[in-house]
Amino acid sequence: MTDMDLNRFEDLVAAYGATPNRWPEDERDAAEAFARSDPRARALLADADSIDALLFAHKVAEPSRTLRTMVIEGAPTKRRLTGRARLWWTTLGLALAGASGMLAGSAATAALEPVSANVQLYSQDVPALDYSTEENAQ
Amino acid sequence: MNSEDPDGDLVRRVGEGDVHAAEALVARKLPRMTALAQRLLNDRTEAEDVVQEVFLRVWKSASAWRPGAAKFDTWMHRVAFNLCTDRLRRRREVALPETWDAPDPQPLADAAISAEQQSDAVGRALADLAPRQREAIVLTYYQELPNREAAALMGIGVDALESLLARGRRALKARLEGTDD
Repeated sequence: MTDMDLNRFEDLVAAYGATPNRWPEDERDAAEAFARSDPRARALLADADSIDALLFAHKVAEPSRTLRTMVIEGAPTKRRLTGRARLWWTTLGLALAGASGMLAGSAATAALEPVSANVQLYSQDVPALDYSTEENAQ
Repeated sequence: MNSEDPDGDLVRRVGEGDVHAAEALVARKLPRMTALAQRLLNDRTEAEDVVQEVFLRVWKSASAWRPGAAKFDTWMHRVAFNLCTDRLRRRREVALPETWDAPDPQPLADAAISAEQQSDAVGRALADLAPRQREAIVLTYYQELPNREAAALMGIGVDALESLLARGRRALKARLEGTDD
């Protein structure tokens, strides 16, 4: 329990009002004991209580049914989550398909490259036809 | 889920797509968030916009929510509070006409008035408070946040919060009793 004097009690009540439940937890017991033991506390509490009454006269209308419905409509549902998961998997699938397509493309290119090289080599091995010579031979 | 967070289990179920949990969370938090936004903004339509935005963020974050330093209710308050203060800041950037006068709340001591009129008068007096005083009072009295949480939300210390609360209460009483002239 913390120490409590008239000054602190006055500040406490001026800020938090007359209801002990609203007083800071670590000072509540000391403040309640002070309120019971010091007659000056009574006037402070009465004044604070009148302000509390003013404050709690203010009422706010309950949220409308329309607002409630609109809010609930946005809530996640199992179906939406499943749909979202499906979309995620579809996106992932497409990405993987794209990636494997690229890989396949690369692999195909890689596989074709030696052939091209062979072709090139082969074409280098074959002497260029000299049509003019053949024509001359005929 | 966090056993110390009274909303923890509900939020986990919301994140799993449990519609009943979402309805329960809305039943628990919608009035609280609406009251917070309406008292800070003093505008029903704007308050409803803020509340919808808060819940959109709740739905997005529920599946990823993990227990941490802050409780879920505190996190919701922070989201709503920031959205409200952003709107209030934008409002202040629009200059008021020079002839603008804040409406006078009807002094409560002058006449016997209905509970509805009394509520309206307090609402106007609250709206006329300095913004930081209003924020301190709304978080502490109406939202019933512990002083440390309210102070942290406002980015101030507990001493500063107490000062704002005391000044706000005095100003409110003076306006409502017609003694602030």
